[in-house]
Parts: sequence; C-alpha cells; structure tokens
Amino acid sequence: MEGIPLFMKYELPDVYKEFWDGLKKGEILGTKCKKCGKIYFPPQKDCTNCMTTDLEWVKLSKEGTIMTYSIVKQKPQGFENFQDYIIAIVRNSDDVDLMCWLLDKNPRVNEKVKLTSDGKRILCEGEQK
Amino acid sequence: MNRKVAIVGVGSSKFGKRNDVTIRELTWEAVKEALEDANITQKDIQLTIFGSTAYRGTEIYPAPPASEYSGLTGKTPLRVEAACATGSAAAFSAINAIASGMTDIVLAIGADKMTEVDTSTSLAIGGRGGNYLWEYHMYGTTFPTYYALYATRHMAVYGTKEEDMALVAVKAHKYASYNEKAHFRNRITVEDVLKSRVISWPIKLLDSSPISDGASAAVFMSEEKVKEWKIEDPIWVKGIGYSSDTSYIAARKEWTGLNAAREAGAMAYKMSKTSPQDIEYATVHDCFTIAEIMAYEDLGFVEKGKGAELLREGQTEKDGRIAVNLFGGLKAKGHPLGASGLAMIYEVTKQLREEAGPVQHSFKKYIALTHNVGGTGHYAFVTILER
Ligand SMILES: [Zn+2]
Repeated sequence: MEGIPLFMKYELPDVYKEFWDGLKKGEILGTKCKKCGKIYFPPQKDCTNCMTTDLEWVKLSKEGTIMTYSIVKQKPQGFENFQDYIIAIVRNSDDVDLMCWLLDKNPRVNEKVKLTSDGKRILCEGEQK
Repeated sequence: MNRKVAIVGVGSSKFGKRNDVTIRELTWEAVKEALEDANITQKDIQLTIFGSTAYRGTEIYPAPPASEYSGLTGKTPLRVEAACATGSAAAFSAINAIASGMTDIVLAIGADKMTEVDTSTSLAIGGRGGNYLWEYHMYGTTFPTYYALYATRHMAVYGTKEEDMALVAVKAHKYASYNEKAHFRNRITVEDVLKSRVISWPIKLLDSSPISDGASAAVFMSEEKVKEWKIEDPIWVKGIGYSSDTSYIAARKEWTGLNAAREAGAMAYKMSKTSPQDIEYATVHDCFTIAEIMAYEDLGFVEKGKGAELLREGQTEKDGRIAVNLFGGLKAKGHPLGASGLAMIYEVTKQLREEAGPVQHSFKKYIALTHNVGGTGHYAFVTILER
C-alpha cells in the first residue's frame, strides 16, 4: 500500500548574501571578528568566542592543499542529473579548511590546488586537470 | 553517578526490510522480549525513553503510537535523537533518570523504519546529516561520502588499503550468519567487497551498512530495586562517556579518526576506572568499514594508524584479544539508526551473561563496551558494562 507522500519545500533566509555575491566574482569570503580576530568559515554573523556581533567580511586565500576527497557515484535527490563529482576538503594558506568540488581527474591527497568558483559553490583544481 | 544502574532485560526485533510490520508492531517485538527477559510488566515501568530519528518513515513522531501499542501509555515516552547514536542517547537518558534518583525502572526503546522511503530520498536525508547549507546544498554530500573522506585520508596517512576495509565486512558477514535477527546472513569475501558497486569512492556497496528497519529495547533498574527484587545476573553500567564535534566535517582539522569518540572513550574509561586493556569485548560503530578501523584506534585498542593491523592479525575475532561485533555489526546485522545503540547494549548484555550461543566470547574479567557514533562523528557515546 502506498503512503501519502510528504512534499517539503524550503525558503532559505538570505543571511549570507555577501558570501554568494563573492562566489559570483570568484571570491571566497569568510567573516572575521574585529575584536578577537577569529576567522569563521562557514561564515558566522556572531562571534561566539567573545560574544560580539562586530564581524567583517574578509577574502580568504585561494591557495590550498587537498586534505582528502571522495568520488560521488551514487547521487542524492537534487543531484541525480550531475555527472560523478569529487567532493574534497582543502586547507588553504589561511589555515581554513573548506569543502569544495575538485575538478582533477586523478587527484591525490596533499596535492596543491587553486580555489575557484562556478558562482554556486567553491571549486578547486590542481595542475593535472 | 549518584546511584548504580543495572540492565535487567534486553530485547531486539529482527532487523531487515520489514514490510510485514509498521513501527508499532516492530517496537513491540523488542519491548515484549525486554519485558519478558526482565520478568516484569508494563506497570512496573516508570518512564519510557524512545529513541528514533524518524525522518525516513511515515510516523515522524513515532513515540506516542509505538508506546501506545506497547501498552506504555502514561509512562511519558520522551523522544530523543542523536542521529545514528540515538539508541545510545536513549540509554544515556534512561541511566541518568535512575542515577539521579528520579526513577527506579526505565525502559529505553530505539526504533526506526528506514525502508519506507526510496534510496534516493534516504541518501538525501543522510546527506543532510551534517550541515545542510554548507555541505548538502552546495556539494551534494551523501552519508557514505562523509565516511569516504575519512577513508581516503586514513589510506593516505597510514597506508590502510581497500582490502583492509573489506576485512571488516567479511568479519561482519561471517558472524551475522549465526544471528537469526541479522539483516544479512550471507558470507562474503574480500573479492566480493572490492568488486561491489562504488557508492562514493573508496566506499563501495559492501563497505556500507544497509538501510534497515528494526527496534531494540532495554530495561534499566536502580541498585536498590535490583536488591529488593533479587534480580539474577544484572549487568552493571560501569561508566558512560559522551562528546560531540562540529556539524561541518571540513572544520574537524583531522580526518583519520573521530575526536568525539576519543573524548567519549576517555570519559567512560575514567568514570569506570578501566583502561582499554581491560576491555574484552566491544561493539563498535561500523556504519562503514573504515569506521571500525578508526574505532579500534579511537578507543585505544591499538595505537593510531594500526587499526588495520589488529584486524589482519585476527585479534578482534571471537576469543581474540578483544572480540568485536560478533553479532554481525551494523554492517551485516543492520543499522536502523534509532535501534542500533540499544542493539549494542542487547549484544553486550547477551555476551556478558554468556547467552550468545555459537558466537559466545570467553571472558576473564567480564568487562565490555559499546561505542556508538552519531552522524559523521557529531555525537559519540561509549558505555562500559560489567557483569
Ligand atoms: Zn571575537
């Protein structure tokens, strides 16, 4: 017997508009607390370290190193129509670790990469595309 | 803990694709067995803790209907959730309710009916298991992907091989073949694992625990009541540890182990005044094969990077130095998220009481532990039990 389907649709608050605007220009933005200097990525509006909300947007370094990666073959809802994609964690030269899609065909851990963007997400690529 | 707490009854349903029951009958299978095992009835229960992640089934508030069916109305089914460690969160809550002096007899139930949605929906829900916006929305993460990120790093740093991970699956299936409640009872080979479909490289289908339906339950009792009722063979909670980690996996700084599990383990060892060398039996969280290898290291059974070696040497087999997952693990027994933590308590209780039949491990000190991880290391609970 078939159950009644549950459709869920979401409207996301545009809290981090600056981040998405930055991506469209190929920039990767995080936030930095003006008081204690802590860098937040993913960006935060509040510094939970010193209980202030006085943060500014900062451009993060686009030089990085692959820490780890996985090639996604079985894709979830919403990504069925994509070709296989590689999800990586990259550590940039600001010592910020971030997730991205990796464009290399033969990636390796510890490979140097450059961070870029397709306007929707962070990408990275090494020398051996 | 202010008061000592014992486990006096355990029950578990058959795990698998359970089209023959709704979550109500499924829950009752575990509850009935636990009550009978404890030789008590529903009227003796003072509080019910109901663990379920719920999102993959039709009942997204399953505690009231499942408790009602089990004859527990009026015992306040309090629902708890800690992703894949939900069953342990239920046990933790039950133990606390007794240790604090609030109650004397608590029933912890864990149940999930995960096969009611299709695989694509299930993958989408799992992919949201960390941080929706910064992982799933942007990158289409799946739950296997998160553990694949650990596997790739562990392979690069410690030279762990895909063949080593496959050994975890082979061991799990071998022992599950003796467990009539297991989801899978077929034996497999390393070759089978390596040749199975790649889900999120290096994780393959046979490196992964299945999407299962199942329920487990345990009756917890205060020392006072154990003595008053002259309960035979109580299993004592010697120590419990818990911790958590960031929602965003990239922020963990290290991807060869789970910090939450290390912290939960340290807390449990300290509370119970034991060390890894005292543990003779363990159920560890093997949602994916790499997770079992990391668990050996995180729990201190072996030094960092040597997890695969312990496995290759057969030290975690029955009657080995420390036996692990002799009921088939999450990998082959099945992993209904809400039930898994209590299924671990069921297994360890059976082992410590020497009721494990063909997979009975031999004990000297009768000390064992359960290690249950939620999400991608978001939660971890370690419980040390003693007969
Ligand atoms: Zn600050």
